[in-house]
Amino acid sequence: MSTQSIRRGGKEKFSWKRTRRIMWENRWIYLMLIPVLAYYIIFKYKPMYGIQLAFKDYKLAGIKASPWNNFEHFKYMFVEPQFWPALRNTLIISLLRICFGFPFPIILAILINEVYMPKYKRVLQTIYTFPHFLTWVIMAGIMLNLLGSTGMVRKFFDLFNPEIGENWNLLYSNKSFRAILVISDIWKEAGWGTIIYLAAITGIDPSLYEAATIDGANRWQQMRFITLPGMISMIAIQFVLRVGAVMEGGFDQIFNLYTAPVYETGDIIDTYIYRLSFVKSSGINLGFPVAVGLFKNVINFILLMLANFVTKALGQETVL
Amino acid sequence: MAEIHPISPNVRIDKRGNVHIPRKNKIRRFNAVDFVLLLILTILAVLIVYPFYNAVLVSFVPNTVYKRYEGIMLIPPEFTWEAYEFTFKSALIWYGFKNSIINTIAGTAYNMTLTILCAYCLTKRNLPGMKLIRVIIIFTMYFNGGLIPYYLLIRDLHLMDTLWSYFLPTGITIYYMLIISNYFKSLPPALEESAKIDGATDIRILWSVTLPLSLPLLATFTLYYAVERWNEWYNAMIFCKSVDKWPLQNVLRTIINDVNMLATQNIPGEAKPDIQGDSIKMSSIIISMAPIMCLYPFLQRYFLSGLTLGAVKE
Repeated sequence: MSTQSIRRGGKEKFSWKRTRRIMWENRWIYLMLIPVLAYYIIFKYKPMYGIQLAFKDYKLAGIKASPWNNFEHFKYMFVEPQFWPALRNTLIISLLRICFGFPFPIILAILINEVYMPKYKRVLQTIYTFPHFLTWVIMAGIMLNLLGSTGMVRKFFDLFNPEIGENWNLLYSNKSFRAILVISDIWKEAGWGTIIYLAAITGIDPSLYEAATIDGANRWQQMRFITLPGMISMIAIQFVLRVGAVMEGGFDQIFNLYTAPVYETGDIIDTYIYRLSFVKSSGINLGFPVAVGLFKNVINFILLMLANFVTKALGQETVL
Repeated sequence: MAEIHPISPNVRIDKRGNVHIPRKNKIRRFNAVDFVLLLILTILAVLIVYPFYNAVLVSFVPNTVYKRYEGIMLIPPEFTWEAYEFTFKSALIWYGFKNSIINTIAGTAYNMTLTILCAYCLTKRNLPGMKLIRVIIIFTMYFNGGLIPYYLLIRDLHLMDTLWSYFLPTGITIYYMLIISNYFKSLPPALEESAKIDGATDIRILWSVTLPLSLPLLATFTLYYAVERWNEWYNAMIFCKSVDKWPLQNVLRTIINDVNMLATQNIPGEAKPDIQGDSIKMSSIIISMAPIMCLYPFLQRYFLSGLTLGAVKE
């Protein structure tokens, strides 16, 4: 970006006349930008104007007519009984996903790469990546049936020990809910996650493998000393981006799977905001969920910016 | 130091005159390691597929038989189309298909139009104001207004309870747009310049020069958007209360939560959803999965190429 923005001939004085001439010459570009900017202003920036509700008592009359309330929502946030559990769950679930879900595609990609049968490899990849294209609505529907009290998983355990089945409540138990979230996330997304790593592996110079073979390296050694180091920068970048998104607990998944008994371990900030906003029984002022949302967004923004900064330092071209 | 063989660059000769032929040129033996590897990967594939297969089983096997069955069912002991007949009789599923198709076609067209315009304009980085516009656009990737302001916006635009509310707010996926933009930028500038000398406007250049050169890439992202629009449920859930405007995913959500909802939309008296509730749920899941399931194996390489484009820099 920087090299292109330097005008030819070094420093040139800014002049309105010149700018106007350039803009007129490229009027069609600006014309094409109108719908794009209209979209961003209406659907992205207009809602940001509504953020002021975080500092206001929402009245039906509208955003402008609502009176300022002196940070009441933020003060309330720290005493609201469900806020801290939601924040804690968001972080715990994200960390669990990073610990177990993050390494999975890396290992899988290395294994897939070692398969030398191109046709079978393609079949495997089709199977692994397919669930990514389904919604959590479908996935959750299948899981509710599979893990429910008449489901196949219980029948499987009944074969060995009928006692396990007696108190079967896998989906409604605080003990198992987070594990279900992490495992089902691997089920749906791990295959898709491998693609980016497989692309990184393709980028490794094949002569390295040839040289290693000549030097007598076995497959494990090739994997350990060529494939893995070749992927390491991609792993680092993905890791930083993943950590940057730690405030995203996975709304779609949890929203379609959770029930009141597992709020204690499964309720994340996003589902909490959703319930505050749309489940009428809470009787809470609508400014409050806006305040919680703002809290989350600001932390998210800072983390993403940091992640962006770190990936840039790692040598990856970033969008900003 | 090994010297390179004059005939084949892969064959090396070391100081002592020994010839080294890389392993690639030999015939690979299928050994124990390969076997274990394939076994692990195959078991994993079976684990991934089994839940879907189980859903197919539940939808075809009479529910009473399924519930009494002990152990893992691999082959259906009995077979019935009842659940599918029941599901297809419901008006809800047909509403769902209709709305999802409309949403997918209109939404994808809208997405691609905006994305292409935006991607093309962002290639003109030297024009006045473009840097600012770039920042304005990318900032929305990192920060948004939140749920309530979003809801109020759609309400104030009078888009509540319309199909417009599903796709209008999700116009551009910035990640896709930037990949397309980078691709446009990588095209030889001489093509554009010569078109300009011939008196073509920028719109004309985009339409007749840039777009035809990027068709494979655009096909990939059209598919991405199409899947996203087909999978739409979140906007529909918050903005749309009328059942006949729901896309398929929302119909499915309702059926999963309460099978009786489907029964009320059917001919009264005919439904016994409580008896075959699970079969009906699974049959609707299979029905709504079917389009993606049928198309995906054929379109897979387009899907995969898109992600790789974003990941690997030239």
